[in-house]
Amino acid sequence: MKRKEFIKKGALAAAGSFVVPYILPSGRLFAATGSRKANHVVFCLFAGGVRNIESMQKAEGNLMPNMLTGTESISPDIAPGMTALPSPASTKLQSLGTLYKDFRYATGPTGHYNGHTTAITGKYTNESIQIKQPPKYPTVFEYYRKHNSPSKSALNAWWVSDSLGPYPYLNYSSYSGYGAAYGGNMIQPMTIFNPQTNSVIANPVSLSASDAQKCDLLRQFADGQFKAPSEALSNGIVNTPADREHLQTFLRTMISDVAAGVYNNPWGVNMNNDMLNVFFGTKIIQEFKPELMVINMQGIDIGHFEFTKYVNNIRLADFALYKLWQAIQSTPGMANDTILIVAPEHGRNLQPNSVIDIYGRYAIDHTNDEMSRKIFCLIAGPPGVVKQGQVFNNPYGESVDIVPTIAHILGFDNEMPLGLTDGRVLTEAFN
Amino acid sequence: MKKLVIPFLFSMLLLQTACNKEKRYIYQVQEQELYQSANEKQTLKTTTQFISIAYSDLFGTTITNSELTKFDVALQAFGDKAVLQDMIVKSLLNRSGVQIPSDNAMRADVAAFVEGTYLRIYNRKPNEFEAWKMKDLIEKNADITVKMVYYSLMTSEEYRYY
Repeated sequence: MKRKEFIKKGALAAAGSFVVPYILPSGRLFAATGSRKANHVVFCLFAGGVRNIESMQKAEGNLMPNMLTGTESISPDIAPGMTALPSPASTKLQSLGTLYKDFRYATGPTGHYNGHTTAITGKYTNESIQIKQPPKYPTVFEYYRKHNSPSKSALNAWWVSDSLGPYPYLNYSSYSGYGAAYGGNMIQPMTIFNPQTNSVIANPVSLSASDAQKCDLLRQFADGQFKAPSEALSNGIVNTPADREHLQTFLRTMISDVAAGVYNNPWGVNMNNDMLNVFFGTKIIQEFKPELMVINMQGIDIGHFEFTKYVNNIRLADFALYKLWQAIQSTPGMANDTILIVAPEHGRNLQPNSVIDIYGRYAIDHTNDEMSRKIFCLIAGPPGVVKQGQVFNNPYGESVDIVPTIAHILGFDNEMPLGLTDGRVLTEAFN
Repeated sequence: MKKLVIPFLFSMLLLQTACNKEKRYIYQVQEQELYQSANEKQTLKTTTQFISIAYSDLFGTTITNSELTKFDVALQAFGDKAVLQDMIVKSLLNRSGVQIPSDNAMRADVAAFVEGTYLRIYNRKPNEFEAWKMKDLIEKNADITVKMVYYSLMTSEEYRYY
């Protein structure tokens, strides 16, 4: 073989060996990122500051009977302060996965914002509350939307926040190379889904499909004449026009249904804000089947003022969590293909404060003592994927591990830049 | 330079949230110069600016604080601002008291309508091409209404900036 021909053939063969593995039977040019453990992750921030003494150590009884095994009864002196709830699930979430009973929020202030930011970015932070400022490090939504292959629309990533203030700004960061373009959809359902918002969007101009097309024509012309300044602040995340239509339809239906009383007491119990937030989260699950959802509860923070209500709100959050699990398992496409991760953002102090409730119990703050760093984490999911009934009683795992673990579940952990998160993948939870 | 009295935004108040203080701005009417071109707009409107200006553009009056808060809180509660802004504009356009030309007036003098609408919505005159193209689009589509034009321009990229 002539030298020139040899080199040519050799070069083609070499190129082929690089190219062929990336041409898939599906016709896609590139392979998806690493294999997935499951196609959906729901991360519930069981937040508001939950002390392990009440949750895992069951000092007041089993306050989380849908999550934890055991039938320890509620302390008699505070039992009258408990809301009546339906019988707990026969199959406890604990038995459907791996429970870390001594998980840690290891460093940083034990504040709700810091705890949330750490859990959503996988990076410990000492930042004070940032009103209307996104976090400095990328959020799990941005990692997912930037590094998952093929890339997915924002309808697959949701941050369902139970409150306003700084929390709505946790759906994307200001980190260079990430930001709003990769953010998740954020919703604060208690504000959007109420009669007041109904008055804000009521009686809209009705546009036929043809009218809408004409409007698009006018708008596209106008947009073509304007170049948005690149240095301008972000206007939040951007959905595609089709997804925006979908979102508008969903929001309008929900808002009008709420105003009409369709969702008055949907679970048949006296629902607090945590339960309502989770209920509306389940509507998002049913509508969009997101691949990644982070949802939180914070009613437990009443613990600063009323210990007995704090205990009760842990029970209500446990009930809401069970409803969340039920909704996942009854949603085609998510059932048996979703991993649920549950963790508080931080704990509470060992010593109580001086505020006493009507049952004679002292309230508890969270001011960076060792106890306020002790939390728990549950990873529950399909038996073939998540180790079932596994319990770690000793200190193991940290809240910064959750983001890398979500990346591992959804198969893009190897695509993430090294050093941006402080945590590791909780591999021991998986088969 | 020609000046118009148009709604614009000012002064501020402090809003207390649960544990934190947050600055909020309440906007009133003031004179402002016309833009000479769209490219002068470099700053994204805040949610309160967007609502205040939209309300003033459509009703010729300043929105009340309580109503502004209602709109602003709704906008804070959803990540993709354009989705809610779109819904809000659609709703405002259908409220009683909205001050927009009639469809007959638009059809009677489309060129004047286009110039007037650009002045009101974009706070600038359309350039020659914009004036011709918008007029052409409206004239060639007999079913385009004034509300459709206002809706389209108020949900355009340029309207998000000042």
